[in-house]
Amino acid sequence: MTDTAEPYVDAGHAVSNSTLAEIPGTAPDVTSGVNYERIRNARGAEPHNWLTYYGAYDGQRYSELDQINAENVSRLKVEWVFQCGAVGLQAGATTYAFEASPIVVDGVMYITGWDGWCWAIDAVTGQELWRYRHAIPFDVSLCCGNVNRGVAVAHGKVFYVTQNAHLVALDATDGKPVWDKVYGDVRAGESATVAPLIIKDKVIVGSSGGEFGVRGHLDAFDIDSGEHQWRCYTVPKPGEPGSDTWPADGEAWTRGGANCWLTGTYDPELNLLYVGTGNPAPDFDGEVRPGDNLFTDSLVAVDPDVGEIRWHYQYNPHDVWDYDSISEHILFELDGRKVLAHFDKNGYGFILDRTDGELIRVFPFVDRITWGEITPDGQVTPKLYPEKEGEPVHFWPGPAGGKEWTHAAYSPQTGLLYVPIQEVGATATRRRREFKEGIPYWGAGVAVDIEDAYGMVTAFDPATGQEAWRWRNDTPMCASVLATAGGLVFAGEPTGEFNALDARTGEQLWQFQCGSGHHSSPSTYSVNGKQYLAVPSGWGGWIEGFNPGMLGAPHGAALFVFALPD
Amino acid sequence: MEAMATPTEQRAVTLSDVGLDTQNKATIGRVLATGKIEQAKEDSDGRMSATIRIQPDQLVFEPSVLVLPHGGQVELELINDDKNTHCALLPSNGDSQFIWLVNHSRGTATLSLDGPGYYWFSSPTGNDEGRGLTGAIVVMGDTPPEARLDRPTQPRP
Repeated sequence: MTDTAEPYVDAGHAVSNSTLAEIPGTAPDVTSGVNYERIRNARGAEPHNWLTYYGAYDGQRYSELDQINAENVSRLKVEWVFQCGAVGLQAGATTYAFEASPIVVDGVMYITGWDGWCWAIDAVTGQELWRYRHAIPFDVSLCCGNVNRGVAVAHGKVFYVTQNAHLVALDATDGKPVWDKVYGDVRAGESATVAPLIIKDKVIVGSSGGEFGVRGHLDAFDIDSGEHQWRCYTVPKPGEPGSDTWPADGEAWTRGGANCWLTGTYDPELNLLYVGTGNPAPDFDGEVRPGDNLFTDSLVAVDPDVGEIRWHYQYNPHDVWDYDSISEHILFELDGRKVLAHFDKNGYGFILDRTDGELIRVFPFVDRITWGEITPDGQVTPKLYPEKEGEPVHFWPGPAGGKEWTHAAYSPQTGLLYVPIQEVGATATRRRREFKEGIPYWGAGVAVDIEDAYGMVTAFDPATGQEAWRWRNDTPMCASVLATAGGLVFAGEPTGEFNALDARTGEQLWQFQCGSGHHSSPSTYSVNGKQYLAVPSGWGGWIEGFNPGMLGAPHGAALFVFALPD
Repeated sequence: MEAMATPTEQRAVTLSDVGLDTQNKATIGRVLATGKIEQAKEDSDGRMSATIRIQPDQLVFEPSVLVLPHGGQVELELINDDKNTHCALLPSNGDSQFIWLVNHSRGTATLSLDGPGYYWFSSPTGNDEGRGLTGAIVVMGDTPPEARLDRPTQPRP
């Protein structure tokens, strides 16, 4: 109690921090008309927008915009920069990273940051229009950093997930919450980082937490009401299809992993959602979970109306290298056939028939693969893995994979796939531990190589699996690439450089130093006929896994937007 | 001085003996969250409330750890009994909440927080945050049943 009898000065009521930031608090209503049909027709109908996570359902990360092209890209300039930085103590204080892909609708950008941030930004000027910040518990379980990969927009709302596994729907005009649903159990070690996907009248999200021994799942919610529609587990219970790939007795399936922590792609004609699943748990100790462990490390083709798996293709049966297969499945036509391409952590690229999962082609896309071999007919033979307790085993690629979650691209213009590649090995030493809920469940000690690591962006011909060109880098490439009709491929480096490469030759045509490494998914859009490139820069996340030689590199959190001079 | 490694029950005594729970004694400031731990009040209708004070010359929120029984909305009364000016930046779903607290002032804040989990709050002026004016709000409770995993009860640490 105070030692004075004077009445207290009235300090009033606390105010939202954004009221002290000269933010309008409103954005134009550009998303009310965004619906399933518009997203379905995004490719072709509205190339000026980036309407969904990959730009279109096909996951190509290709834009038909060509104002910025191979002839003039050297003239690109910074148009504006958006920054936020850290405020107060935040979860995973040293691991935050800017990993999102900017969504743009008719001149308004919607993007998430780390630690619960979501913003609407004027896509021409960079002015912050509104913000929403979900309060994130400091002690939430995060395997791989305080990150988030972006939003979905439709029906006048902005949807994103929080690190404590909420799916939040915001009013797109002012950032106020419309509904908020919990879809994961933080006490079990679950979290959320995925960018939601809109299909028809549903918002679809997946869970994170594969390093904590959870049971992976997809969830669907009604766009308007937020009512839960279905849950699809990616590890079956006893008696369900695939359960015979788990031990008949015991509880291995209850903590089996297979988290879907990355956005899927979708074929509206087949009505199939293609989702990659994560590693089994424990990651490296396979002896406690004999069997193939379905549906870990798999492509699952899901009927989005009901949340049922129609078919699957498992890339890493009985994974003991932490080779999540979460990476995107890029949809395109090859010789009139509906196919998909997937570049797995295990170092192999796959071309599958996307109607039924038939393997068409498999080929290595990295220089060094020692964990095992996959033959052209898809037979998997493990060779090196942490088999004996306490015995170190070195293998390539390391647990972050020859390609991590960051995305490849496909250009219909060149017919080539462009892949960001990490040439990094690791040593795993099996160390068995008992399972305890909420505690990391790896089953090994792991040290990823600091030396002898490099990277590249490589172009592949999906018709042959042959390399068309490669652009080599001294450190692993850890950011999504972006292809455009301007004959360009854009790729960010861990050392901060953002590059434009010639899509046909790989020749470097332009570079800009952003001051912090790239671990995000750039997008492109146009407003009033002017094309822009949006590039989140902010090094962080699971660096010790995908590029430990860059653990001491500058952190940051800036969104750079580039354009040609007027 | 006794050995530095102490049982939990002796922690408060050792903090005091060493001088880590006050300003400018063992070190320059005060080690974070060395104030009291208190539980918020909860009305019969589930409304939660609490009072947090800033003590004179101590740069500490009292309580420095506030415990809520579950997620939801909490009404805070914030009182600065110090003879210096401070403030508070508090976590809340939607946006952080800020209040300026001149000497000998009283204000309020409404926070919305999820449970379970804990959150830091602080006085972001000068280096109040490092000197001691950083506190925690602990939210107890469990994830709603419909969001939990369909599996048998698992062992916990």
